[in-house]
Amino acid sequence: MRAMILKEFRELRRDRRTMAMIIVFPLLMLIIFGYAANFNVESIPTAILGPGAEQVAQQAPDLFDVTVVDSTGTSETAQTLLRDAEAQVAITTDTEPPTAFIDGSSLFAAGKAVGALGRLGDRITVDILFNPDLITSWVLVPALIGYILMFIGTVVTSIGLVRERENGTLEQLAVMPLSPVAVIVGKIAPYFILASIDMVIVTVLAMILFSIPFVGNVLLFGVGAAIFLFVVLGVGVLISTVSQTSGQAIQLAIFFLVPQILLSGMIFPIEAIPWGIRWLSYFMPLTYYTKISQGIMLRGAGLDSLWPAFVVLTVMAVFVFTGAVLRFRRDLTPHRVSEAPVQPEGAPA
Amino acid sequence: MTAPALEARSLTRRFRDNVAADDVTFQVDFGEVVGLLGANGAGKTTTIRILAGLLPPTSGQAFLLGSPPSRASRRRLGYVPQGLGLYGDLTVRENLAFAASAFGVEPATLIDPLAGASDRIVSNLPLGLQRQLSFVTALQHDPEVLILDEPTSGVGALAAARLWDRIRDESDKGVGVLVSTHSMQEARQCDRLLLMFDGRIVGRGTESDIVAGMTTVEVAADSWSDAFSVLANDGLLVTLNGTKARVIDLAPADVEAKLREHGIEADVQVVPSTIDERMASLSIRAPAWKEDGSLSRVFPTPAS
Repeated sequence: MRAMILKEFRELRRDRRTMAMIIVFPLLMLIIFGYAANFNVESIPTAILGPGAEQVAQQAPDLFDVTVVDSTGTSETAQTLLRDAEAQVAITTDTEPPTAFIDGSSLFAAGKAVGALGRLGDRITVDILFNPDLITSWVLVPALIGYILMFIGTVVTSIGLVRERENGTLEQLAVMPLSPVAVIVGKIAPYFILASIDMVIVTVLAMILFSIPFVGNVLLFGVGAAIFLFVVLGVGVLISTVSQTSGQAIQLAIFFLVPQILLSGMIFPIEAIPWGIRWLSYFMPLTYYTKISQGIMLRGAGLDSLWPAFVVLTVMAVFVFTGAVLRFRRDLTPHRVSEAPVQPEGAPA
Repeated sequence: MTAPALEARSLTRRFRDNVAADDVTFQVDFGEVVGLLGANGAGKTTTIRILAGLLPPTSGQAFLLGSPPSRASRRRLGYVPQGLGLYGDLTVRENLAFAASAFGVEPATLIDPLAGASDRIVSNLPLGLQRQLSFVTALQHDPEVLILDEPTSGVGALAAARLWDRIRDESDKGVGVLVSTHSMQEARQCDRLLLMFDGRIVGRGTESDIVAGMTTVEVAADSWSDAFSVLANDGLLVTLNGTKARVIDLAPADVEAKLREHGIEADVQVVPSTIDERMASLSIRAPAWKEDGSLSRVFPTPAS
């Protein structure tokens, strides 16, 4: 038994990725969970609209971070601001009592706002838009669609590509008269199609089972999903180029997937995450897909307000996919290596 | 002048401080079968992968059909890798169809026993059939060059014989064939041999060219098993040929002396070595050569 234990430790010591999983990953999770796992929203972007808006803004409690003050605004303006995610609460003073419109798709901010405004009793009317009963599944499922796409795009795709290497068929592909681009596109197109079918099934099922509304533009939703798929498929190809085995590919995919669940706004509101960790959210594709899917499905948001998320995802898609293609191409069409004598390991350069 | 089917010019490939192929130079002409011979780790697969364009050389040049390996030249190449390169989850027919489609040709017509297994999943087939399929897949676009990396490894004698019949058929049609092997029986099927050791070509020509000048001591004793035990227990490399023990790397007088020490009378003869014995001899001497760097002096590479 002692020999077995020693053998296992020796193997682990040389398996850097597994060691990283054992040591680095728990630390990473501890830090991210410790900081990100925070449902407590301390500041809600708020718009005050209508006559006397400036006076009301001055009296607003600290919880409501007044970002828009417009004395000419109406309830329509309020709904537009919430739909475009420019505010999570919009109070109009043109009615008696004033009306507070709350964005129900920002679940935790809405819950906090309802609690705070509820204490005012009859002095204010509360109208929750987009998710009137503040149902968790309505907010979670649009993000979950992205997570499913991401799972297929990274885990399944990378395993599919690494399996070619493991079975020696990648070498066979390399000697066939196929261009690297044809190999890559031919390889990932089925995953793209399957992921798209999965997306449709999950979306329709979610609408049927959980009565989740789909108030926005279906085509825009599809375009957003397609761009996001390109990003995650590119990540899958990248993972495959640095993995020799399926196990290594899965390890790397986990490193990529898990932080996104925590930091993309899928579960924990991004606004509640301290800036020390929050900046990571803005490098994660799921953050932008969640904005797009929640915005379109629940709020009916259009390109005029969602374009920043589309632009960021497109830039990510271009960079990641190009990088993936170049790296994969290198595996298929080797270049001459350095003519310079190779230094033995550990020798001074 | 027609370019050779394959040509390696001073190919060298280093992996960190390990030289897997060291100044390898040879060519394969159309219509000939050249055997690349050597033990595991001799550098055969590295050389083959460079020639197929799957691995870049650190220095030197590889030519496939007269030009560096490219997508265009690989269209005329049939390649059977050691790992077969088949899709285990697809059927025989589907594997053939995929490769045929990639090369833009019609799938090959199968003959038995593969024809009878055409709808079977490849991973469920015996290794012999898988190797036959890999071979048929590599041939279905009528390549002008064949590179076969240990094509009969792990298959039975009958299946190996069938594969060699096909290889000979192809070379008779004018296809240049480079086949790596560590089987002496297969080596004898080749028109020409290249013996690799430690990344270098240390012998070339026919079997007799490669063992030229090298001898083995053959021992015929009344009790061959006692003679064998005595020599083997003394740490010598001994093989059996029928009831005769064969000892390499030792003078006949020394062999006689060792046997006499144990009271064994034997008839000791010096006979030409086999390629197996040549390779074994290389392996035994390698550590000392590596230390003093005299490999090139002990086995100067003959001119091609």
